[in-house]
Amino acid sequence: MSVVYCHIFRRLISYNPYRKKSTTMPLKRVFFWQPNAGSTVNSQILNEVSQCVESINGVKEGRWKATLTFYKPMLRDQALSAEFPREFIGISLPEQPNKYYFVLRFNKIVLESDSSIQLIMEKLQSYKSRVALNFEGFQYQLGDFQLRVGKVVPSHSENLRGIVMEVEYLPISSLEKSKQIMEEFFDIWQDAISKRSLPGRFIHIEPDFSDYGLADHYTSQHTAVQYTHVTSQLIASVQAVQTGRN
Amino acid sequence: MCCSRNYRDTDLQYVEALEILLQGLCGVNKERLRVHEICLKSGPNLGFVASEVRLLCDLEQSEPTWTVKHVGGALRGAGVEQISVLVRSMVESKASKNVLRLFYALGYKLDHELLRVGITFHFQRGAQITVTVSSVNKMLKLHATDEAVPVTPGIQLVEVTAPATSENYNEVVAAVSSFCEYLAPLLHLSKPGVSTGVVPTAAAAAASLMSDGGGTTL
Repeated sequence: MSVVYCHIFRRLISYNPYRKKSTTMPLKRVFFWQPNAGSTVNSQILNEVSQCVESINGVKEGRWKATLTFYKPMLRDQALSAEFPREFIGISLPEQPNKYYFVLRFNKIVLESDSSIQLIMEKLQSYKSRVALNFEGFQYQLGDFQLRVGKVVPSHSENLRGIVMEVEYLPISSLEKSKQIMEEFFDIWQDAISKRSLPGRFIHIEPDFSDYGLADHYTSQHTAVQYTHVTSQLIASVQAVQTGRN
Repeated sequence: MCCSRNYRDTDLQYVEALEILLQGLCGVNKERLRVHEICLKSGPNLGFVASEVRLLCDLEQSEPTWTVKHVGGALRGAGVEQISVLVRSMVESKASKNVLRLFYALGYKLDHELLRVGITFHFQRGAQITVTVSSVNKMLKLHATDEAVPVTPGIQLVEVTAPATSENYNEVVAAVSSFCEYLAPLLHLSKPGVSTGVVPTAAAAAASLMSDGGGTTL
């Protein structure tokens, strides 16, 4: 890593050996990999991204995994399917092992509940799991930042559908107050990853959290909403590639 | 799983005596109970079988908290009739405040709503037992909990419940039954749906409890 990067990072990242996480929820941004036109995501890109994190002194800490499930309504008359939510999503997050999140993207509803809500949904038999996606990989510590890089794969397959990256800034929970530092960090990251000349880039499109009734203070419900939106963007991206091929 | 017995008291003075008795038996302080119970049913096209879910909003907290509750069927099989306690499956999940909006958006409809007001005791006696003594109230306007009126004035519902697993429900049944025996001088509890009357000793037992605050052994 060059002397210039070291200097810039030290402005952003406090190398405090006694650093501890904020007692409130630290905020994060979730990025997804957008391949260039004509290219697709593959495991080589995932390896390059992971190596890039390590090249800027990210310390590998361990594995992580989140799961996103699409639920479909069980209808007696399929012709009436328009009366029911188009996207009903359930999410489990590694930082909240006893919780489960539901998101209705088009209704702008997010719910946090105990993980036993999944058993209730099974007993109700009104909605069933249609397909599940796993987001899994390694997490890295980088001063006051925590990075997670992961592949997106269907739960019963190893077919790589996408790559995501979480950037978590530990000291602050305010979305507004953290904007500048997150953008500065990402600029540095973009600079580092661009040197690998990969056929694509990471994109973050921030959902309007206020539409979901979420405040400036970051919570796991914000994360659930981000994963819902990232997934829809990933799907759109895959469909665009397939349309281009056809 | 949940084991429970219910009772309906026709005289409010018995409720005060019951409170004194429960205070002595449970060894814990009573807690106030004010729960808005919203019962939702699946719409006509949703699910191959109709489903029902209850949303409970605890209004006694400074910030109302929500619980989603699914009550399943009763235990079936040989010998179940001989069990003096109702055993049925129950799953609960705490949820954030959007839960009613979510279920409406999923296609669930309001079937009925109730407001339970009373007291509750939580204690350990062979099982983690909960006793509630409450009035059941209905709302004259949608969700208007401040304007609720009793469904059956002067009648309180006494419920004794305890969680159990499929492995230990026999022990829990025994613990609940045993506890209910201590209430026998004042009231008789039975399985939900089985009506009971006022026990002959109720008046004397209540008077005894009221006269010395429960110091007399029944």
